[in-house]
Amino acid sequence: MSDYVCPYCRLGSDASAPACPNCGAPVDVREVRDRSGWVEQPPIKDQARIQFGRSQCQISGNYVPVAEMDLAQGDNVYFSHHVLLWTEPGTQLAARQMAKGWDRRRAGMPLVMMEASGPGRVAFSDDDPGEVIAVPLQAGRAIDVVEHHFLVATSAVTYDWIRSGVWFTLGTGSDKEWFHPLGIYLDRFTANEHGLLLLHARGNAFIRDLDDGERIYVAARALVYKDRSVQMNVHLERPSSPNHHWRLIQMVRLVGPGRIAIQSKYGFEPEEHWGWNEIGPSGTWNNWNGEPSRWRPKIADREP
Amino acid sequence: MDRIVCSWCQYQDDVSRTTCSTCGAPLDVANVVSRAGWRAAPRLREMTEFRVGNTSSTCQVSGEVVPVAEFALTEHDRVFFEQHTVLWKERLVSLHGQSLATKNKRRIAGMPYAVVQAQGPGRIALTRDASGELVVLPLHPGIELDVRGHSFIAASMNVSYDFIRITGLANVLHGGNGMYIDRFVARDTPGLLILHGNGNVFDRRLAQGEAIQVEPGGFLYKDPSVTMNTVKVPLGGGFGHRNAYMAELAGPGRVGIQSMYVHHHTD
Repeated sequence: MSDYVCPYCRLGSDASAPACPNCGAPVDVREVRDRSGWVEQPPIKDQARIQFGRSQCQISGNYVPVAEMDLAQGDNVYFSHHVLLWTEPGTQLAARQMAKGWDRRRAGMPLVMMEASGPGRVAFSDDDPGEVIAVPLQAGRAIDVVEHHFLVATSAVTYDWIRSGVWFTLGTGSDKEWFHPLGIYLDRFTANEHGLLLLHARGNAFIRDLDDGERIYVAARALVYKDRSVQMNVHLERPSSPNHHWRLIQMVRLVGPGRIAIQSKYGFEPEEHWGWNEIGPSGTWNNWNGEPSRWRPKIADREP
Repeated sequence: MDRIVCSWCQYQDDVSRTTCSTCGAPLDVANVVSRAGWRAAPRLREMTEFRVGNTSSTCQVSGEVVPVAEFALTEHDRVFFEQHTVLWKERLVSLHGQSLATKNKRRIAGMPYAVVQAQGPGRIALTRDASGELVVLPLHPGIELDVRGHSFIAASMNVSYDFIRITGLANVLHGGNGMYIDRFVARDTPGLLILHGNGNVFDRRLAQGEAIQVEPGGFLYKDPSVTMNTVKVPLGGGFGHRNAYMAELAGPGRVGIQSMYVHHHTD
């Protein structure tokens, strides 16, 4: 029976259950939406269960949550080794080699994943206070995830990566330096058949459904995931000042339609760059001084 | 009309309200006070909205682990903050850099020497990159508050931002707060100051002459009338004995501490 559509995973389920069986979001809580349209992803209640295939996932802990998988015979999940918390001896663990090893090493991404196969139990957690976000993916659906948020996925979900396109450069010739505020790559998860993807967000997680053409500017490292339909570009913002130049605030410009998710703890890094020579495809900038001669953008692509 | 007084900021609100319109504190829950007299700062409910000083702009808070302050700025209204606290913004919100007076001294002290002003119309969200809670402190005209460096999220434009030097070599070497702390002063109209406390925040009002010793990393804010000195606490142990250093706060006035602090080692 699917008389209830979960606002967080957009799948139908039985409204009489205390939690959505697809993503674990509580059914009996009021949607917390602010006036801008951000919806706070409700923390998955302690001990809530998520069904995937013949297996189950149970989330426990409110501060640094743990995802405990009860894998049925023949079911398997994959993950990066550093998120493994515990496993039963009967659970089969194996390495899962990833393609494009050189690219992955260059991007600081894991070269090898691990795979756990049932029957047996295995548990995962990331090493930071925050929330587990369960994203059930229907066949054919894909989402783009910022690296280092991936916790675990079922084998029905394939894992690939794409270039983020969020970059800018400084200097020219042999002095040219590349900067990637969001990372060089984004993880892309695509479901061949119905599957489950678990992500970890630091701090609190918020989701927002952007309308067609609606745009929002987000601190680059705050983004957790986006729908494929959401366009993303680098956006550099410079506060105006009569006295001196200001360093760039590195953001991403997200344009709907589609869903985006952000986290409130995003790993602050000092802004160190004053200017740029090139910025990524369709990149935009804003200089609130209105005096372009005071600094050095060499492009005419100002944000309209 | 019946009024209800907010026990946190003393503002008088309509009795029908469940949260204070100037600081967001819940009005329908009892204060949580320990036997020693520390009062837990109000836990702001999700999506609580309150006024920014005497302007028509508002602030809404969300998130319980790493909270976010989201400002809805009306045309020409401004708030200021440190540059790296921006989480997201709308396109029309313009950003302006402001160098602070005595910026060279501030730079030497490792304090922010410039802040960003965001100007409406539009929305902008700010957050510190740490687990904790927001402390909303409406400041009446003329009121001053001394705050640990790098603890403020944002303030309204009618709040001036300065610093004071804490004298004494013991403080420089062992104080943990550095040589300087921030001083915020509301000018001639009511202002708003929002702080981020790491962990939980507790507030206590010290009587005249009453003193309390606090781990230096736990200090968050105080009234200017409260004196703060770093004191040595001998730990004994004979040869090679060690000392601890604590921040001694003496009343009268209000002090605030945070429960997740930087521990300063004994010597």
